[in-house]
Amino acid sequence: MSLEQFTDRNVQQHYFKVDIEEYPQTGWDRFKQVVKRGLNGELFVGLWVVMREMIKFDIHTVQYPKEKLPIGPRYRAVHEMQRLFESGTERCIGCGLCEKICISDCIRMDTRIDENSRKEVTEYTINLGRCIFCGYCAEVCPELAIVHGPRYENTSEQREHFILFEDMLTPIDMAIKGEQKEYPGFGAVTPNEDARVKKTPLAY
Amino acid sequence: MSKVNITIDGKPIVCEEGEFILNVARANGIFIPAICYLTRCSPTLACRICLVEADGKQVYACNTKTKEGMNITTTTQNIQTERRAIMEVYDVNHPLQCGVCDQSGECELQNYTLELGVDSQSYSIADVERPIKDWGHLHYDPGLCIVCERCVTVCKDMIGDNSLKTVPRGSDAIAAKFKETMPKDAYAMWNKLNKSVIGLTSGEEMLDCTSCGECAAVCPVGALVDTDFIYTTNAWEQQKIPATCSHCSAGCQLNYEVKHTSVASNEEKIYRTSNEWNYVSLCGAGRYGYDFENRDVEKDETAFNAAVAAFEKADTIRFTSTISNEEALMLQKLKELKGYRLINEEARTFKTFLDNYAAVSGQQLYGGDLKKAHDANFVVSVGTALKSDNPNARYAFNNAIKMNKGAGIYFHPLKDPVIEGIGKGVFTAYHKPLREEAALYLLLDLFGDKEKLPSDVTAYLASFHTLKTITVEETVKEKVVEKVMVKKVNEETGEEEEVEEEKTTMVPKKVSKEVEVDENRLLELLDIDAQAWDDFLDKNLKKKDAFALIAGPDLYTHPNAKNLARLCALVEKYTDFELTMIPPLSNTLGVALICDLDSEAGDYSIGYNTKGDFVLSALGDGDLDMPAMNQQEGTLTSIEKRVNPTNAALPYGGYELGDIANALGLNAKYAIDYTAQLPVEAGFEARDFDSLPNRFENDGTEVRGYALNNVAVATGDEAVEKIDEALALEGENVIYAANPVRQFTAFTMKPHQLNEESGIYLSPAQLTAMGVAAGDTVRVKTAAGEQSLKVVEDNKIDGSVMCVTTFDPNIKTEELFGAYRFATASIHKEG
Amino acid sequence: MDTAFIIETLVKIVVVLLVFSALAGFGTYFERKVLAFMQRRLGPMHVGPYGLLQIAADGIKLFTKEDIVPSGVVGPIFKIAPVITAATAFMAAAAIPFLPEFTIFGYTVHPIIADVNIGILYILGVMAIGLYGPLLGGMASNNKWSLISAARGAAIFISYEVVTGLALLVPLMIIGSLSLLDFNEYQAANGWMAFAHPMGFISFILFWIAAFAETGRTPFHLVANDHEVIDGFGTEYSGMRWGLFFIGEYANMFFISFVMAIVFLGGFGDGTVMGALGLLLKVAFFFFFFLWTRAAWPDVRPDQLMWLCWKVLMPLAVINVVVTGIVMMF
Repeated sequence: MSLEQFTDRNVQQHYFKVDIEEYPQTGWDRFKQVVKRGLNGELFVGLWVVMREMIKFDIHTVQYPKEKLPIGPRYRAVHEMQRLFESGTERCIGCGLCEKICISDCIRMDTRIDENSRKEVTEYTINLGRCIFCGYCAEVCPELAIVHGPRYENTSEQREHFILFEDMLTPIDMAIKGEQKEYPGFGAVTPNEDARVKKTPLAY
Repeated sequence: MSKVNITIDGKPIVCEEGEFILNVARANGIFIPAICYLTRCSPTLACRICLVEADGKQVYACNTKTKEGMNITTTTQNIQTERRAIMEVYDVNHPLQCGVCDQSGECELQNYTLELGVDSQSYSIADVERPIKDWGHLHYDPGLCIVCERCVTVCKDMIGDNSLKTVPRGSDAIAAKFKETMPKDAYAMWNKLNKSVIGLTSGEEMLDCTSCGECAAVCPVGALVDTDFIYTTNAWEQQKIPATCSHCSAGCQLNYEVKHTSVASNEEKIYRTSNEWNYVSLCGAGRYGYDFENRDVEKDETAFNAAVAAFEKADTIRFTSTISNEEALMLQKLKELKGYRLINEEARTFKTFLDNYAAVSGQQLYGGDLKKAHDANFVVSVGTALKSDNPNARYAFNNAIKMNKGAGIYFHPLKDPVIEGIGKGVFTAYHKPLREEAALYLLLDLFGDKEKLPSDVTAYLASFHTLKTITVEETVKEKVVEKVMVKKVNEETGEEEEVEEEKTTMVPKKVSKEVEVDENRLLELLDIDAQAWDDFLDKNLKKKDAFALIAGPDLYTHPNAKNLARLCALVEKYTDFELTMIPPLSNTLGVALICDLDSEAGDYSIGYNTKGDFVLSALGDGDLDMPAMNQQEGTLTSIEKRVNPTNAALPYGGYELGDIANALGLNAKYAIDYTAQLPVEAGFEARDFDSLPNRFENDGTEVRGYALNNVAVATGDEAVEKIDEALALEGENVIYAANPVRQFTAFTMKPHQLNEESGIYLSPAQLTAMGVAAGDTVRVKTAAGEQSLKVVEDNKIDGSVMCVTTFDPNIKTEELFGAYRFATASIHKEG
Repeated sequence: MDTAFIIETLVKIVVVLLVFSALAGFGTYFERKVLAFMQRRLGPMHVGPYGLLQIAADGIKLFTKEDIVPSGVVGPIFKIAPVITAATAFMAAAAIPFLPEFTIFGYTVHPIIADVNIGILYILGVMAIGLYGPLLGGMASNNKWSLISAARGAAIFISYEVVTGLALLVPLMIIGSLSLLDFNEYQAANGWMAFAHPMGFISFILFWIAAFAETGRTPFHLVANDHEVIDGFGTEYSGMRWGLFFIGEYANMFFISFVMAIVFLGGFGDGTVMGALGLLLKVAFFFFFFLWTRAAWPDVRPDQLMWLCWKVLMPLAVINVVVTGIVMMF
């Protein structure tokens, strides 16, 4: 689809009208309708259609807990906190942009200066009970640290169970083994990111 | 100064002649970008971004004075190119990880980079290692520093500590190609920037200053940050609560910045304070002493009932002046209702002093304020340890001398290296205690209009003068011409040969001279060296037209306080001095005006933030808890004779004084219901609390609360007494009731960042002289009593006078003194 | 009476009861499966392999569920109504020859409980009594939906009894007997009723259509049409009482399938094993057709149903009888 087509808001509406026949007025009309429909085989067409489907046995059921449909890469489910590939340290730098942009006010973090004079996030929570999964946090994150993962099943006995930073963080052993996948989903780099990158005012 | 008409961007403006263009533009709502300039300080010319075109010539708005008919354009094509290049230069090697920077969100580098649309970089240079420095209460990251020198400027021109300076960066030279291609100002600015970073004047590792933190406040980027605050929260998360600082009488405008404590706790917490640093400068107590709230208080009904019972039983209420005007009015109303005696000694002496002053001057309050002191070019301070009694008065003293090519005289018994550090413009007269009268007489003698002064005063002043002939040695420079042999290369032959040359040098020569001088015995009384004094006046009295006198708390408790008050009034009346008095504590002026104070206490007393048979305390140590000043709404009367509103930054769950007042028969839902009832006859206005603003205009106009009316009072005669020349405290050990900088009352003891120790403060010289070391305990014995005190070394004082702290209620230092702040003592090392 | 006959009859009764109760259960399973497949679904899958134990699960659920008798109902009637439905359904089975005679351990078994000479009349009569179940249950429930359902049920049953009766008259007139075994023998000799005579075919179609109404299946599922009357007469029932209605409905479907197969499609024919299998196949087809139509067809409105009955089917049936009479005269 070209950009012009994409931005054209005057979408052609390909509607077609159903030709509805006159409603029968007299008893004779009604009788004729019954005969016509009865002999027309409409009923048998119906029978044939369902029988055909049964014979084809083209089942569309997804047996949900056992089978799952693949999820769209832009799907916005429970957040994940990524780690750096090289060192395994947290990517989150505690800048607080996600906290600022969050429109349902469900992100909170505590930060402090650590021994190396770097900013350290001591506590980070997302209250998923309030989160509306709008994706702004992932979009605004400058470090690609917070992304929306594919985990959409967030049932639990306690509301508090899904709000902790550690739960969202990729486990350190996984990160070190390189098992962390750069999530292609919401908030992550797009495939043609290299082409989009522009020289910043800092380039030396 | 006269008014002139100028136009900025086509807008006609009337302003003072000689005002800086930038200030005129700011006052009139015209935007000129500027990074390095601070309104009340001198132009630094570090950023050069304030370029404007005045009458067709490119000038810097921050240091160009206005002239009649000036036509100013704030932006042209060329200026735009310069500004853009300057911002690009600022972004050279500046990290872009704004996320972790504390300044993010209120960063001027961010703002101007975006404002000028810097989206690409044309310049580059190899960076040099610039390690992060920990300077104690400040954290300096040279990597973020843009060397605008605002910190240096404010420390020098406003605070007067001179603790910071620029030091070499040690970087490569800028590539030659840039010199040719770059806009000129941008190159000049980069050249300067590239050579320096900020360092400590002392050259030491740790910052040793009066710890006001103003440098971190003015820092446009995240380079200078308070160590306690760094990386704890972001600028935008905090709610700014406009308030008035309640630690001293300066009543500075500040914002308490409030946010929840942590992820786990929703309780509000003050993370820092911020101020409008272009118009008001905070001291260390105001900036770091914000967490003095009375925490975790709930309504304790038993204690409340006990309090009401105690009030029914009591006949006296003792209180301090760290209360709001409204609370003072409640106490006064309770006095009218129940006949309590109100005891507040420090407010009562101040009130008496004011009354005595008013009897001569004809107005209830002193005529000047600190704003006038800032604008003066000759400032005098009498009877106050400026830097600890009222830091803002000290800033005014310093600012006037630094900015207005001014001069100042500091009369005080306590030697103060900080005041001396202001520079040559200040004359320090370290007199003996109790000789303050002589200082005021000296001012009358020097500046008084002898024609109008009462004749007996004129005659008395004349009696000090004697003419005397002395021999002075003068140094005269003489020109001497001598012939020397110089080795030189002969240009024609290329050989080296000796050539005879004539050389002129100036040689100093001492000449003795007989001069007739006027000897003033007042100088002798004040231990002033007449020669130095005359030199100082010769140099510094020229072209002075605005005078300010700051009178301090030493005078109020002086045995001859009445005479001092009358002398102050005379000085104000018959000289050009604008008089400002420093109220001893936060709201002493308000309390003095509102409350009808008693001198004799009764049998059973209620103590409010002080000792009593039943104690109400905002410090959390009394029988019933009260809200601290950052937990209540109300107004405070400042040294500026202003009624300033303050707001509750933190929640308070307990009972307030108003609840007790209601239980005793008054009727008001909130403390601020009393605001409109403050006594109009004392100069207050009948205005609702909610109508009181708390901000500054762009031109620096203080739109805060309202100014007190200076009520006229009946005057009597102008008779003053002579100096009792026998009166002077002498001896080895003179002690002075004064706190270290950043400490005022028990409320400044509470904040976690204000960690000054209580005890007796000795200068390093005195430590050696007395043979004690810091940390020792000494037994201090005076005529009034004795105490064991801890010795603290303090390099912010000098000489032999020792300071005894009064802020710590746990040590009863007031028992050492009579009424006066000085006393002689015998001191012995214990243990 | 012969003791052996009594024992044999009792055994047959028990067998029929057990088999058809179980079949009702399997019927639900098949219905769900067939409907699911026709709609590209899987149906029950979780309990047991391919969801086979779903029947057991449902049974356990129905048996153990609390038996709620709501306040405001007419207690005894409310309680007896499901029993009537189930009982009449099974009573009708008494005159149906399920299989041809066979010999086991030297004993000849007649797989019919009572070969009465008015078999078909008996079946029609008992099935007509089945109306009382929904009618009483609906009226006693103190629920407006149930009441509407009861009224609809009465109207439909009474109307379609007429069509059923007239449609059956044709084979009766041709065969001259009321016993279902005679029906079977006649057809074994002369070919299937539905195809041997044109009038037989017409009456077969009429009877088939009426059978949908009698059993209350889609497209004539008006007595318990979910979107109109919730569960109709069953709304207030729970647990095993509701289960009895259910068993009754499914048993009815089976029995009417047997009747159609025997009366119109030759029954078990000559009585051989093939014939017996043929009968079961025919019954299975009719049962399957009930499910098939449910997957494919919409429901009609009550007025359309009445219109169809009185203005189309009944006149057709009468004409059919008259024509049959005229044909038989010559």
